[in-house]
Amino acid sequence: MKLQVVYCNYRSADLSVRERLAFATDDSLCRAFEELRIRFPTAENVIVSTCNRVEIYSAPQSPDSGPTFQDIARFLSEFHGVPLDDFLDDLVFSTDDEAVRHLFAVAASVDSMVVGESQIVSQVKKSYELASRCEASGPVTNALFQRALAVSARVRSETKLVEGRVSIASVAVGDFGRSIFDRFDDKTTLVIGAGEMAEETLRYLKDEGVGRILVCNRSRERAERVADQFGGEVRPWEDLDRLLGTADVIVGAAGGDKPLVDAARFRAARNAGDGNSVFILDLGAPRIFTPDVATVDDAVFLYDIDSLEATCLKNRDARRQEISRAESLIGEETARFLADLSHKATGPIIRQLRESWHDVSRQELELVFRKLPALTPADRQVIERGVERIVNKLLHPPLETLKDEAQAGTHHGLLDAIRRLFRITDP
Amino acid sequence: MSLANTSLTCFLASYALAAALEATRLLRPMPINRWAAWLAAAAGFVAQTIYLLSRSRAIDLPPLLASTHDWLLVVAWLTVPVYLLIALLHKDVPVGLFILPAALLFVIASRFVSREPNAHLDSLRWWGMAHAAFLVLGIAGVVIAGGFSVMYLIQYSRLRHRTGETEGFRLFSLERTARLNWWCIVISVPLLTLGMATGALLTWLSQKTSQPVSLLNWSFLVSGVAWLALVVLFGWLLTSRRPTGRIVAWRTLLAGGFVLATVVTLGIVSGGMHGRGRSAKAAGPANVGQAATIGLPSTPSTGRPS
Repeated sequence: MKLQVVYCNYRSADLSVRERLAFATDDSLCRAFEELRIRFPTAENVIVSTCNRVEIYSAPQSPDSGPTFQDIARFLSEFHGVPLDDFLDDLVFSTDDEAVRHLFAVAASVDSMVVGESQIVSQVKKSYELASRCEASGPVTNALFQRALAVSARVRSETKLVEGRVSIASVAVGDFGRSIFDRFDDKTTLVIGAGEMAEETLRYLKDEGVGRILVCNRSRERAERVADQFGGEVRPWEDLDRLLGTADVIVGAAGGDKPLVDAARFRAARNAGDGNSVFILDLGAPRIFTPDVATVDDAVFLYDIDSLEATCLKNRDARRQEISRAESLIGEETARFLADLSHKATGPIIRQLRESWHDVSRQELELVFRKLPALTPADRQVIERGVERIVNKLLHPPLETLKDEAQAGTHHGLLDAIRRLFRITDP
Repeated sequence: MSLANTSLTCFLASYALAAALEATRLLRPMPINRWAAWLAAAAGFVAQTIYLLSRSRAIDLPPLLASTHDWLLVVAWLTVPVYLLIALLHKDVPVGLFILPAALLFVIASRFVSREPNAHLDSLRWWGMAHAAFLVLGIAGVVIAGGFSVMYLIQYSRLRHRTGETEGFRLFSLERTARLNWWCIVISVPLLTLGMATGALLTWLSQKTSQPVSLLNWSFLVSGVAWLALVVLFGWLLTSRRPTGRIVAWRTLLAGGFVLATVVTLGIVSGGMHGRGRSAKAAGPANVGQAATIGLPSTPSTGRPS
């Protein structure tokens, strides 16, 4: 068994790359799982795709059964129709303990742009559930993701990582929004989309005291649910252009395969509106607003995820101590998980080996006892114990070596050798 | 040391120190820098007040009418409490970096202009006071508006370039800066207009005296153009349907810069906003004040030494 992850995130790749590799909808994710299954039938896969990262976790049945780093890169290229050269250098490959540590850090939001953000946990959970629903995950990835969610909960409860500004929206509003507007209670906020990101942003904006909230979403039902939750008003999707021209704060949090608003569309909307300063927070990947929207006029302030990176780094610096505590917990959990995994992998082999040797010894003892019927039960017991001790002593060195190798994560070869030497088949 | 010995260097140094301390906040934001800057500015303000009072007492004229030197110092003096007030209300904003340079500019300029006092203004004294006061308040407002404009443009540039906020360099929001800028202009321009109107009235009144003042003076014309620039800005601000803050800031900066340049240059080149009036020179000490009141302090060559 081998665990691996191929990923690009906000550190390794620009948003322009990430948005081309993103799996924007559940549909595209299911298609991706199907494609992966066709290419690598024996591997388990889970894809985590958010605005800040695209990560494919795989657990091949055996180390040489794939997929390799190149296989995953080729898959991404072919699935999204993006030339390999455009992103190959942006991909990162980690295996085994590094892969486990990475997922734990992602789920605990230590690896997030805004350290401590809560949203990533539900994104990881959702990714895992979807993989499970699409029958792409398996025993190893199930154990990995379930443990990742548990680690996330532990980090949250045992550190102060989640205190303070812990959402991209809070960082963006704190650093940029507040530098544009003095107050928000007299502003109109338009939220495009009604997903989790929209809710998270609205939660923060509501705390900031935003006045009027307008929710515009393709699905009116979801928009109504979100609007009810935050005391907003639902606006039909067809009104989007008019709303773009009049809103003071626009939060783009809708999913989609390509940008929704380009400069021409936004200019037309602005011309029909009042021309006030507008703070646009584009949280989508792919982006909802094309970058040239920022050039429509002097009063347009557009920020996408990458624009916030410097600010998020400051946020990270401020939490250095808590991050360090979280990383130490993650290190501990990673070691424990790998040990458990190894135990799970070696346990059945050890049990079978032990049972088969004891079976042999029992069979031989029965032959001996049949030939020596005069033995008393006490004598028989003495002989049985002696043979058992011999078997255990003979088994001890190879099993200890196997345990040691398992702890170090290099047990695959030895396990295979034992299987072949003693003709043990997997249970 | 007698308080009367307070020199211009004292408060110039205090303001320079305050500005330098404000600048250090950019590198190392600590409360001590902030408090030290405020103390330095407050000390400079006290010293300048003493200086102006001493001069006023010595020449028996209010600073507004005493000389171009005093008049420029009054403009500088007015900006300092505004700085202190804003700084105390908004501790995180290094507002001194935007206001103190103008105060320094006026104090430095005052070294190069005439210190010779005017004579008494007789019957036109109160009109002269009103004229000078309107102008001085209007110009101080324009100077502060200029400071806010610079702040706006820096903040704007940061936001457009998506640069994160630095701890020691927190600025007012664009919304607030634009509002403050707008109010400064909207208050200053009517004051300057009143100043110009009282100036015209004084000119007219001077025609009945033995030393009539002629409006055909190039410094009058330059001042008039500067005022007109601000009136145009004012009109545009009030009538424009949707002026963007950046354009307002640039226009304010240009108009305010022009006014500042006019005041300082005229002060240095011609000895006062209205230059050394021909009539004033000829008039002798007794009638000098009447000529001087048309604009801001003229500098009669026959006045008492400071």
